[in-house]
Amino acid sequence: MAKEMTLSGCAASAQAVKMAKVDVICSYPIRPYTAAMMELAKMVAEGELDAEFIHGEGEHAQLSVVYGASAAGARTFTGSSGVGVTYAMEVYSPISGARLPVQMMIADRALDPPGDFGSEHTDAMSCRDQGWIMGWAESPQEAFDNHLINYRIGEDPRVMLPQFVCQDGYFVSHIPGKVLIPDQAQVDEFLPPYNPGKHVLDPKQPVSHGPQIRPDQGAIMDLQRAEAFLEMPKVIEEAVGDFNRIFGRHYSPFVEEFLTDDAEIVFFIQGGHAATARYAVKHLRERGVKAGLVKLRFVRPFPTTQVAESLAKFKGVGVVETSTSYGGSMRGGNLLVEVRAALYDVPKRPLTTSFMAGLGGDAVTLKDFYWMAEILTNAVKAGRVGKTVYWAGLEQAVA
Amino acid sequence: MAHVQEITVWTRGVVKDKEGRDVANGIAKAADKEGKFTQAFDNYVDLPDRVNVPVRKYARISDDDIEMKYEYENEKPQVVVVVDATLVKGIDVLRGVEKDGVLVVNTNRTPDEILKFIPNQQLLKSIACVDADGIAGESTVDFSGTEGGVDAVGLGSGIAAPLLGAVAKSTGLVKLESLAAVVKNKEGLFKGHETTVIKNLH
Amino acid sequence: MFNVPQERAVPFGCVTPAPIGEQPMMRTGNWREFRPVIDHEQCNLCMNCVVWCPDACWQLSENEEEVVWNSTYCKGCLICVNECSHDALTKAYELDFPDGVVRLEKPF
Repeated sequence: MAKEMTLSGCAASAQAVKMAKVDVICSYPIRPYTAAMMELAKMVAEGELDAEFIHGEGEHAQLSVVYGASAAGARTFTGSSGVGVTYAMEVYSPISGARLPVQMMIADRALDPPGDFGSEHTDAMSCRDQGWIMGWAESPQEAFDNHLINYRIGEDPRVMLPQFVCQDGYFVSHIPGKVLIPDQAQVDEFLPPYNPGKHVLDPKQPVSHGPQIRPDQGAIMDLQRAEAFLEMPKVIEEAVGDFNRIFGRHYSPFVEEFLTDDAEIVFFIQGGHAATARYAVKHLRERGVKAGLVKLRFVRPFPTTQVAESLAKFKGVGVVETSTSYGGSMRGGNLLVEVRAALYDVPKRPLTTSFMAGLGGDAVTLKDFYWMAEILTNAVKAGRVGKTVYWAGLEQAVA
Repeated sequence: MAHVQEITVWTRGVVKDKEGRDVANGIAKAADKEGKFTQAFDNYVDLPDRVNVPVRKYARISDDDIEMKYEYENEKPQVVVVVDATLVKGIDVLRGVEKDGVLVVNTNRTPDEILKFIPNQQLLKSIACVDADGIAGESTVDFSGTEGGVDAVGLGSGIAAPLLGAVAKSTGLVKLESLAAVVKNKEGLFKGHETTVIKNLH
Repeated sequence: MFNVPQERAVPFGCVTPAPIGEQPMMRTGNWREFRPVIDHEQCNLCMNCVVWCPDACWQLSENEEEVVWNSTYCKGCLICVNECSHDALTKAYELDFPDGVVRLEKPF
């Protein structure tokens, strides 16, 4: 029987990883994800979890340790935040290219300078080209669920790729919420034991990892992973379908729509602030504004078809960005660029613009969403967007 | 959107950090038992790993689903709990209180002696003093519940229990029975409730 | 085009001026529960308190006749009371003194 507990995102992640019966954990402290490792350490010390708990000497070491462990056939877990994520940058591509389904928890933290503990998605988003699966959780419950779903997707023989399981630092990682903890039997049904492929280290069948190749073989290396990403949406749909069936949840695999039936303007958003956006949309509806919400669950693989199908129904789309891509084509974040690319071939496209909100961990209030709705409404009336990026709280423009 | 009652707890890092957290968590858990919607969390920027640094913990109670879940502070507290009395000299503990606030202080001194240090007492409806240190004898020092971790030693074995009793008596935010169901030191809770001295300011 | 509210402003490159002598943005006087009290009669100016204070809150006065206490930054660690060689320093509860208030709006 499912048990309800009040847990922060970090504690919920630790519970999920414990129930996934992970084999090797490598820790290194950095706020705000640290508590997940603190919880796992307690579980290992008290015998609740039978895993190797290794303390790395830095984030680069963390990733290298789980690289080796996963290469030896272990189900692994590690995590980091902020500059820790970028410190380990060198190891992401080797793990992905070696087709090892390592799982890394990222509790977002703004990148230095200077020291800002607040949540900003740039730390994880700046690694989105490394060949890992990546998606955000909106609440501690979703964080718990995402860890299990990602192990299942990553370890599927058609995929065999590592995963970033992301949640907003402090908002989701520290503020407790209600989490339904399932039975171990349900988890075991959903997540079979890790069955490593023939490419892992095994004394009975010696292999070499990471040899030298010629440049003309490089593209083939990359193509292997590109093909896995083409296979992946099907695997994600199966995994989320099974998850919903076994645990009684109602997740949409890629994009989740809220109050979109006759919506004219929508917010396109990922992560913790989607929770506040839901209330904003409800209140906007009460005022007669036909607003809706489309929440993105995976940014890699970016669900191009699903996003295009969903957003084509509306007149105005406001992409809420909590990450930066300085000098990028929209001069804002990265999501608007992906959304516009997805919509390019749609014959009747909505107007799209972006809102920089929540950067540096700034709280995003209901008033901020109302301001965004005003801009979108004005854009739809005028038939064009004023500009491609608006900074919430820092400018007065309403068109 | 229903009104959200905000409770801010001021305490000191390391030595009384867990006790402050227990006060906030105790209020939230008790209100939860009464069917309210609640939140309880530590202030994120206060960095409590320094002995004696002033830090804040928050609790929020509402009859309806709390919509702004992701905030950093309680902007307008109605109740302020001060776990170490000397904090009234060091911090404007009533910052953000609009009017008719209730101040609960852990001290063996009288309300008048504490009010000497509060220049903006016109914001208060009442002040409650309870000698939590005297009743419970000690403050638990434990880090298992920090940073979003799960508390491993239980809620309210030290000075938080009498302080919670004082909160129940002076604010009526939560019932004593609900608190008794969630704290370990029930005797301390009841003694705190009994011995709290409340002075109404208007 | 952008208006940054004054209280949110950040200097260029987030490079701030370094404090000289004291850091008024980090007044730690509100950390103390107990304060050291000096009996000047007993004090023999051994300078232990000046040397040992981690926050330089005991300083020799201008006329070099006594040591002076800094209430704005003293954290109440009581190391000076422990290190005093002549029983000149004792600890006292902070609420017994109307002075030495460091009432900050926010912790920092």
